[in-house]
Amino acid sequence: MRILDIALKDLRQLVFDWRTALFLLLMPIGFTLLFSLVFGGVGGEEDPRLPVGFLDRDGDSVLSTHLLALLDASESIRPEVLDDVDLEDAATRVADQELAAVVIVPAGYSEQLLSPAGGDQAPKPAVIADLDSNAGQAAQSGLQAAFARLLGAIEAANLTSQAYEAQGGTADQAFWNESFASATQAWDDPPLTITASESGAQAGEGEETRSAADDYAHSSAGIMVQFAMAGLIGAAEIVVVERKTGTMRRLLTTSVARFEIILGHFLAMLAMILAQLTVLILFGQLLLGVDYLREPLGALLMLLTTAFWAASLGLLIGIFARTEEQIVIFSIGLMLVLSGLGGAWMPLEFTSETFQTVGHLMPTAWAIDGFENIVVRGLGLDSVLLPAAVVLGFAVVFFAVAVWRFRFE
Amino acid sequence: MKAIDIALKDIWHSVRNAMFLVFGLGLPLATGALFYFAFGGLAGGDEGFSIAPAQVQVVNLDEGQMGFSAGELLATVLQDAIPELVQARQVSDPAAARTAVDRQQAAVAVIIPQGFTAAIMDLEGRAAVEIYQDPTLTLSPSIVRGIVSRIVDGFAATKIAAATASSQLAAHDTVVDASGLQQIALQYAAWSTALSEGQQSGAGPFFEIQAPPAQEQQGNEGVTGILALIMAGMMVFYVFFTGAASAQSILLEEETGTLPRLFTTPTPQSTILGGKFISTFLLLSVQVVTLIVVSALIFGVNWGEPLPVALVIFALVIVASSFGIFVTSFLRDTRQGGIVYGGVMTVMGMIGMITVFTGTVPTASSAMNTVSLTVPQGWAVRAWRLLIEGGGLGDVLVPVAVMLAAGIVFFAIGVLKFRKRYA
Repeated sequence: MRILDIALKDLRQLVFDWRTALFLLLMPIGFTLLFSLVFGGVGGEEDPRLPVGFLDRDGDSVLSTHLLALLDASESIRPEVLDDVDLEDAATRVADQELAAVVIVPAGYSEQLLSPAGGDQAPKPAVIADLDSNAGQAAQSGLQAAFARLLGAIEAANLTSQAYEAQGGTADQAFWNESFASATQAWDDPPLTITASESGAQAGEGEETRSAADDYAHSSAGIMVQFAMAGLIGAAEIVVVERKTGTMRRLLTTSVARFEIILGHFLAMLAMILAQLTVLILFGQLLLGVDYLREPLGALLMLLTTAFWAASLGLLIGIFARTEEQIVIFSIGLMLVLSGLGGAWMPLEFTSETFQTVGHLMPTAWAIDGFENIVVRGLGLDSVLLPAAVVLGFAVVFFAVAVWRFRFE
Repeated sequence: MKAIDIALKDIWHSVRNAMFLVFGLGLPLATGALFYFAFGGLAGGDEGFSIAPAQVQVVNLDEGQMGFSAGELLATVLQDAIPELVQARQVSDPAAARTAVDRQQAAVAVIIPQGFTAAIMDLEGRAAVEIYQDPTLTLSPSIVRGIVSRIVDGFAATKIAAATASSQLAAHDTVVDASGLQQIALQYAAWSTALSEGQQSGAGPFFEIQAPPAQEQQGNEGVTGILALIMAGMMVFYVFFTGAASAQSILLEEETGTLPRLFTTPTPQSTILGGKFISTFLLLSVQVVTLIVVSALIFGVNWGEPLPVALVIFALVIVASSFGIFVTSFLRDTRQGGIVYGGVMTVMGMIGMITVFTGTVPTASSAMNTVSLTVPQGWAVRAWRLLIEGGGLGDVLVPVAVMLAAGIVFFAIGVLKFRKRYA
């Protein structure tokens, strides 16, 4: 019962401290929303394709009109027609990252390219893009596909005209135009396609369904794990203040056993983190549409093991830190390093292979993996067993070290 | 001179303080090193941005036709693709391939359907190649999808050429037989191959690429570019922490009683407080200069021309130290300071660093960059970003002006609050 008394005392202190609400709830909720907006776009963009400016200097010619249609049908880029915009402004919009690229169809492009001898003499369209950026590279790839389709349609029309003439017909300009239009329009419903599918979800042909809940799912798990550590500042501070004020020394002279003291503090931290994670999971589930409860046992397992790990870490910090300043250094420093290494800020897929390996030596990476297996990958209970076991292993190690260190208190 | 004495005393105290050494210097450099390591900087140097190759499982269910298998061609292309980007291996069972993705043993499974070649050969035929991906990944699947799209597009274009000829001729009461269509398809394929070879050799590009205006200047590229941006963000993040922590010395002296005792001496209050402000300013200058020099030497970051760099440093130090004074003026004691600094500085710092996140992650929304400008940290990051990307003095004037203006406002409010407090 003494363990419970110590735990309840700690919890009472925490509940009446407004900073607890700030670090435990307000900040993680705020950052979940912020990171999901950063990585997922603003206000539920309906068209997530990269915006590419389209500057037609060829006066709505046959080719420029069909090129625009092909860009519109692209899966990766969406054209934004730039009327009354000069080249410098268009280039600035690329530099300012408002557009991934700008394509400028020069005057005479259509006429020259379609002339019998002018294919090689045709002025080349210009594309303004930053190839050092991923958006620029993706835009380049999308534009190449669209141009390949355009030139392919020209060739298809040419071959069709030749075949018609070989059969004795007269392939005039109108015939050619019809053939060209037919070839470009065929790309609206191509005969060979790519179907995208993901575990736990099925996307349509050539489409990737990505709802706002998906954006929140990616950031919710990472921020939740990160701020489980941030909330430890208050809890660890209780242990340090207890030591500094001499209360700990007085407690140790009583019949209260060392293990009761340490368990009492641990229990308070565990209860606090459990409450925090529960609220954040419910927030994600009810308000952001992140489906943690599609696998309730799995979510519960990850919740418990993550809370155990975070509470063990908090206990370790409280045992090792000697001042409030040290608590802030240890807590925030560890939070930033473990979050950065574990993929809470930035998906580990964008890092090197070595970094990903090192990242997975961190408990944060495993905790995030476990939650993402449920909410993003749509997998079942068996997918969280390994991450939960690893996180629990870290919890045991941290707890053991804290207990060992407390022996010398 | 008393103000200088007080300032030097505070600086001496700060540099021997773990908080400054860890938060001021250690963590920014460690975080920079962490991201340098993350992007393969240690292995790849300045030459490239290094990411782990995508593990791909390819299932080819296509039987082929007449000695040709489009599925086999696609599988071979994936296996022969750039190994630094894609590592593909063929497996026979689609379910096993999907399970490998579910278990994160592979990023993507490419499943080529039965009858793929037959669908290509048949004018009315249709087929779909399935790409089954890990939903937590975006980069690897997009690379694989790009490769598969090119091949599938090529086959689709050939079919479209034949189908166009067939439908157009039929519309003009002319029938072309199967061998005629085959001839058209072969001619189209030959043309497509020549076009593709021209593309790869650089002889026949579809368009000409130009860099946007800012890129024409000498900036940091590759891994160094990414690292420079992250270092700038980390530097701004931690400089504001240090500014607040340094200003906190006023509260500390108030609590320990040395400040009230100082006020009883003939030294004017303004001199005492001025000394504290000067120490904050000098400490931050030391911190920023140290970080810039060390990151330039160790990570090879090119911060830009000396004059604009000096100007941005000056503006950053002014706004960070003023903000520290401003926040501290609202606090009652150091106990409030610990969590408020952690909370306020962390929140504002991360908002200010949005442009760092959007710059390093492909799928990030650049529209959120505007949100970062609601905090002074965001303007500081913007100024550094302009310099890192090769900008000059003229480019940083606006962010510098905003920072200085904000600094003046914060300082004025902070001083007024302290005067009122100690009146």
